[in-house]
Amino acid sequence: MPDTQALVNDFLNKLKKRKIEGSQATAKQTAELLRSVISQTRMPYTNQAAALIHSVKAVGERLIAANPVELAVGNVVRRVLHIIREEDLSLTTAAMAGLNLSAESDDEDDTDRDNHPALSAAAIAAASRSTLRPPSLQTLLEDVPDSAAVPHTSSSGGDSEGKSKSADKSSRSRKLKHDVIEAVNELIQDISTCHELIAEQAVEHIHQKEVILTLGSSRTVLEFLCAAKEKKRSFRVFVAEGAPRYQGHLLAKELVTRGLQTTLITDSAVFAMISRVNMVIVGAHAVMANGGVIAPVGLNMVALAAQKHAVPFVVLAGSHKLCPLYPHHPEVLLNELRSPSELLDFGEFSDCLDFGSGIGAPLLHVVNPTFDYVPPKLVSLFITDTGGHNPSYMYRLIADYYSADDLVLERRTASGN
Amino acid sequence: MWWRSASFILDRQQHQNRTVAPSPESFLLSSPPPMADSPLNPKSNISAYYQTRAAHHAVVTSDWLAQAQAAVGRHSDDDGSLGDDKGAAPIGGGGGGGGEEEGSGKAFSVIDEFNSWRKQPALAEAVAAIRALAAVIRTSEATTMMELEIELKKASDSLKSWDTTSISLTAGCDLFMLYVTRTSALEYEDFNSAKSRLIERAEKFGEISCKARRIIAMLSQDFIFDGCTILVHGFSRVVLEVLKTAAENKKHFRVLCTEGRPDRTGLRFSNELAKLDVPVKLLIDSAVAYTMDEVDVVHFGADGVVESGGIINMMGTFQIALVAHSMNKPVYVAAESYKFARHYPLDQKDMSPARRPIDFGVPIPSKVEVETSARDYTPPQYLTLLFTDLGVLTPSVISDELIQLYL
Repeated sequence: MPDTQALVNDFLNKLKKRKIEGSQATAKQTAELLRSVISQTRMPYTNQAAALIHSVKAVGERLIAANPVELAVGNVVRRVLHIIREEDLSLTTAAMAGLNLSAESDDEDDTDRDNHPALSAAAIAAASRSTLRPPSLQTLLEDVPDSAAVPHTSSSGGDSEGKSKSADKSSRSRKLKHDVIEAVNELIQDISTCHELIAEQAVEHIHQKEVILTLGSSRTVLEFLCAAKEKKRSFRVFVAEGAPRYQGHLLAKELVTRGLQTTLITDSAVFAMISRVNMVIVGAHAVMANGGVIAPVGLNMVALAAQKHAVPFVVLAGSHKLCPLYPHHPEVLLNELRSPSELLDFGEFSDCLDFGSGIGAPLLHVVNPTFDYVPPKLVSLFITDTGGHNPSYMYRLIADYYSADDLVLERRTASGN
Repeated sequence: MWWRSASFILDRQQHQNRTVAPSPESFLLSSPPPMADSPLNPKSNISAYYQTRAAHHAVVTSDWLAQAQAAVGRHSDDDGSLGDDKGAAPIGGGGGGGGEEEGSGKAFSVIDEFNSWRKQPALAEAVAAIRALAAVIRTSEATTMMELEIELKKASDSLKSWDTTSISLTAGCDLFMLYVTRTSALEYEDFNSAKSRLIERAEKFGEISCKARRIIAMLSQDFIFDGCTILVHGFSRVVLEVLKTAAENKKHFRVLCTEGRPDRTGLRFSNELAKLDVPVKLLIDSAVAYTMDEVDVVHFGADGVVESGGIINMMGTFQIALVAHSMNKPVYVAAESYKFARHYPLDQKDMSPARRPIDFGVPIPSKVEVETSARDYTPPQYLTLLFTDLGVLTPSVISDELIQLYL
């Protein structure tokens, strides 16, 4: 336990000081941290899933609070919670099937217990299925028991069966942890290889003699373009430099070393050059549930330019960037302001910016937002590691990856949940 | 002669039906006598649903109300005397009297039951329908599930045909029928326990109505930020709940309320908001575009949510959504999930017409036609998000939800 505490505090510090760059690295480290938290959690006899969920939630809340703008942290926490619920469900249904068989073989057992497993198995399975999926019209009229009831019934069924079952139970608890950790390993694997899976689809979207526009530098976009180049597609790339960090310069250099014809332009020239472009391909920081994109600053402008000239705007995003929340004020709440030194040199402008010299507050303010919000109607296509999707399809992916109960992770002091 | 959409044929038929009835002038100022002639569907021209909404939420005078209440208790042969009332709107209670006759001689009429539930202002139509169907189950003498289902189907059909214009009524009946046919197959071999379970779930459904509104209110809290200006149209109990919760959470916002002719729903809504100490401003319906640039978000309720993800709501909703869309203002709809219906209207005239008599304050010459439709259809591309008790949804999710239910 003290081992994980130290790890957690270390990670929290890194998040608060913004020392980790990039959502992929953040997601991977979060997943690894949660894996160690899970392996260290002591499992009680009953309600193992709830114990796991509780410990993951406790750590997850702190992680999200450390850097609320880095949505990948919250995404991974919710993915892990969903994994725990899913693994628990599959184990429960398997156990129920096992109980069924054993009850039938024991003639001396009470006959009422014969009926109960059959009944409750179906009921529990149905109930669990409905708790895992988001609430639907179907469940409106049905009685939906709380998720806590599910492991309870399974464990109480186990306890009443006798000693043989208790041996089964402890092995089952080990199995749950084992399954969950395996699944989390898979998740980490997915996060690491998302670039390859996305890049595989490049050849379907980029055709001969096309002109692609991108802004700034994104590793996903780089690998995407290089994959297409390897399949012998000949195309040109316009790279907008992406002020104030000018990461477009780095991307341009990279592309040239891989043998691609590249043109470097300023951000202001995007509207001028967009009419010569066939497609815009960009990366994203996060994708929201309505299909909106949190992207590096400047991309909203590129999206508007693309819409005006009917150029498809394609966003590449790994599935760890998919966030189940709806943005209600993304320009403010999901944005971060970076240092003004990226824009202005302190030496020259110290008299305008300094609080010390002159009277009162400085007259010159420098605003350096990190992100832009691109509304879903400007996006033509999302390419994720599962394939290409419409922005209006995002809700299906969310239903696959996340459970409805995990959407709100912040502790509510007044109303307990 | 005038260019119209292909559904003008339907319009012509409607128009012909109306010219058979008394002239529009008396039509507007008194309750229509044809009610006594057609016991089966007394409301071929008037939508009972919008009558009830008016009764609940429009500004009513006390003597109008007294007459309405008296009319509910009367039998249908007293219909002629209802023409004396001074109120502009015909009374929905008369239709209930007409419905009594249609009963096939049974002591219990599902229509009556429905009407009695419907009178409560806090209860949604669908919930009233489901409660009425629960009463059918309770009083039924069936001994097998199949018999019960057939009885329920008959009752549900009679409810639906009594008011063909109410979307949530149809949706509620369909939802309950679907639930009945699904659960009857599962688990319970004992008929009585199945029956009691059905009754219990139906009664609980009433609680769901209130719970749904609270869930929706909680979900929409994030979307009301401090200092925002909200435009509302029509009297939606769900939207009222949303704003109430926001006011209780001490958010600072102000509300622009359209007048909502001819029901004058805006007056009543602004009254409710004033009680909550929320700054309200009333607009005439034509002033919406004029004030749209001050508005941050637009909030609607819905009478029904259709399969395409669009909504059917009080007349004027489409107009406001168009203006909001052209000025890039988000349009949010708050609707409970039992309002989802399996319609797919392609244009405004694609639904069964729901008419509401309009009082202009002065007599209209008989040669002048009046557009009396009570509702319109807003296509999904003008809506930003829907807040439902199933969560926050984009319009494209609705058809998915409906498919999952009806599959």
